[in-house]
Amino acid sequence: MGLRLIPVSLFQVKRDMRKRLFSRGIEHKKARWGWIFIIPSLVFFSLFSFYPILNALYTSLFKKKLLSLASPQFVGWDNYTYLLRSPDFWNSIRATVVFTLGTFVPILVFSLLFALFIMSRKRFQKFFQMAYYSPAVLSSVVVAAIWLLMLDPRGLANQWVNFLFDTPGIDHKWLADSTMVQISTMLVYFWKYVGYFTIIFLVGLGSIPNSIHEAARIDGANGWTDFWYITLPLLKPTTVLVSIMSMLQCLKTFSTQYLFTQGGAPLEPINVITLNLYNTTIRDRSIGLASAMSIILFCMMLFFTWLQFKTFKSEEVDY
Amino acid sequence: MKKLCIFSSLILFFTVMVSVARAEVELTYWTHEDPNRTEIENKYIKEFETANPGVKVIRVSSPSGKIAEKVLTAFAADRGPDIFNMEIEQEYAYIINRRLAPIDFKAVGYPSVKAIYDAYLPRVLDPATFEGKLYGLPLELTNWCIYINDRIFKAAGLNPAKDYPKTWEQMVEVSQKIVIRDGQIIKRRGFDFRYPYYLVSMVPMVEQLGGKLISDDGKKAIVNDQAWIKFLTFMKEWGPNGKNLGSPTYTPARSLFNKDKNDIAMCESGLYQQDRIRKDNPEFYNSKEWRVIPYPVFKNAVKNVAGNYYGHYLMVNASKPKENQQMAWKLIGYMLSHPEEYLSKVGLIQPTLKLMKSDTFKAMPYANVFKEDMDRGHIVYYGENSAKIQECIREAVESVMLTGASPEQALEKLKRRAQEALEEK
Repeated sequence: MGLRLIPVSLFQVKRDMRKRLFSRGIEHKKARWGWIFIIPSLVFFSLFSFYPILNALYTSLFKKKLLSLASPQFVGWDNYTYLLRSPDFWNSIRATVVFTLGTFVPILVFSLLFALFIMSRKRFQKFFQMAYYSPAVLSSVVVAAIWLLMLDPRGLANQWVNFLFDTPGIDHKWLADSTMVQISTMLVYFWKYVGYFTIIFLVGLGSIPNSIHEAARIDGANGWTDFWYITLPLLKPTTVLVSIMSMLQCLKTFSTQYLFTQGGAPLEPINVITLNLYNTTIRDRSIGLASAMSIILFCMMLFFTWLQFKTFKSEEVDY
Repeated sequence: MKKLCIFSSLILFFTVMVSVARAEVELTYWTHEDPNRTEIENKYIKEFETANPGVKVIRVSSPSGKIAEKVLTAFAADRGPDIFNMEIEQEYAYIINRRLAPIDFKAVGYPSVKAIYDAYLPRVLDPATFEGKLYGLPLELTNWCIYINDRIFKAAGLNPAKDYPKTWEQMVEVSQKIVIRDGQIIKRRGFDFRYPYYLVSMVPMVEQLGGKLISDDGKKAIVNDQAWIKFLTFMKEWGPNGKNLGSPTYTPARSLFNKDKNDIAMCESGLYQQDRIRKDNPEFYNSKEWRVIPYPVFKNAVKNVAGNYYGHYLMVNASKPKENQQMAWKLIGYMLSHPEEYLSKVGLIQPTLKLMKSDTFKAMPYANVFKEDMDRGHIVYYGENSAKIQECIREAVESVMLTGASPEQALEKLKRRAQEALEEK
């Protein structure tokens, strides 16, 4: 009897499932098409992002030299413990954190201010948008190369600053002083990316319905209170997006520091993790150690992103 | 029908045989950019292809600063070129990691490997020798002397024939007489170093003072603290926080020298610089208002040593098929059979005994200065981690010149990092 009951019950289950599937109807079909559209990007992501991350994690557990034909030697967490005890790696973490804080906070503040400025213009809005955005279309390498010429002791940067502040003959050592070279890298990054994030803020500002501002004005709000109590809270999702994007961009910075050090700037003050990683791979050929560095950087990025989400509580909008 | 089938089969068979017989050997040759050399090597390649039907050579040149990265990533992905050349400090790691094919003496055109050693100056093939096998032949062996712009010397009231600097102390004095500043900003430098190349141009300065990069037994990095401190103090004084005579952040001296724009009086470079001056600025070249002087020595030097020489060796990828390897060595042999043209047209020294005794070498302006300096110098340090050790020296020099570190602080860090690099396996 028992043997007979099993096929019957399976058949019933199958029939119930089919019923349920048919009952979902259009929603199910939509979901299926959704999956179909998503699959290419999932495959792409898995192949070019997820697999390299897993591969880096795996490689980071080995002592592996790029040119060596010998099998990589399994060392467990040794690469991580070496890095966490290395003063050079801690210097890279310092350089990365200083650069990130010194760049993404001004980018966040000024891109919002520039967006508000552009929104307040009745004429030439497009011109300002283009003017602010144009550096973002240049390649990072080109930008760094242009700034390298400007920051040369005999370059435009010294000439302009000395003209503006009436300090003839002063060398501000843009690339030759440990503090100044850090400020110079921040300056280059700020110049390149502020326009890009200004445009994102402009889109965010444009999506706030005018009726809300009008209602606030009727209730007696002035420009400042309107901005503080209406615009800023409604802009919260955009602010979170900009802050996370700009922070991640800053944590990944490479080309400016690389080109500056090629141009004679001292390495130590601007030896960010990505630059250290590059040198560990290309100069020292230690791919296992470099992979461990990249995993630590990845974890840092994940942590700071999570922290920002927590801090901003982006889902909640109060106004 | 049967006849037709047989006939068709025969045609097909012969077509396949002919195509197999004509199968091309494609050789890739990666090298660094040098317009003068490109011209003659393209000519050699064409001649080689004509003499060896079925062989195709693809020559790819990359900027000097990029080729090491390009070759490394290609080898890591097992997509390296058949032939390549780089500085020996970079190439040595390929030899000891067994990525290169030992020389095929017959293909290169010698009766034996010993005959190759006999043809070259003593010891110049040592860097390419590992476990008794030879892995490369020098495309160039280069040392740097000091080029002087006579016009700037004269404008500063100096006689270039007499007042040129013989010691590093005199280099400071002469540079102070030549330098023109607008406040702190240097408009004209007397001399400046070639900063990225610390192993070639600065380690000999330490050796003059009695120091060493690596101890004789190869176990200790940075020998003789006092010598290193004297050297680092000299560099600190040279930089913007000292006498302000030069800095790594100014445009490299060698790049400015050829233009003769009154912004640099002296620079370090090899014999090849002459052909570059001739090409970049024929007026300056033909004016004869330039000269070459030996590498200076410290006043109280304990050792009379000139700038190190370095070699670019042509090497062959061991992962390529035997047929490619053999043809690659044959091409190398063919190219290197024109050392006099390499010297007269590109200014490269391929250090064979025959060339060094030739009239072509003797006729090159200032060839004797380079030769004499080469005799009192030695090959640059090469090891698996030489690039990393160079970076350690760079950081020490930069930290005293630019970031205000004391020579003692910089030395402590240099010792720790260089020792770590030396011991790293």
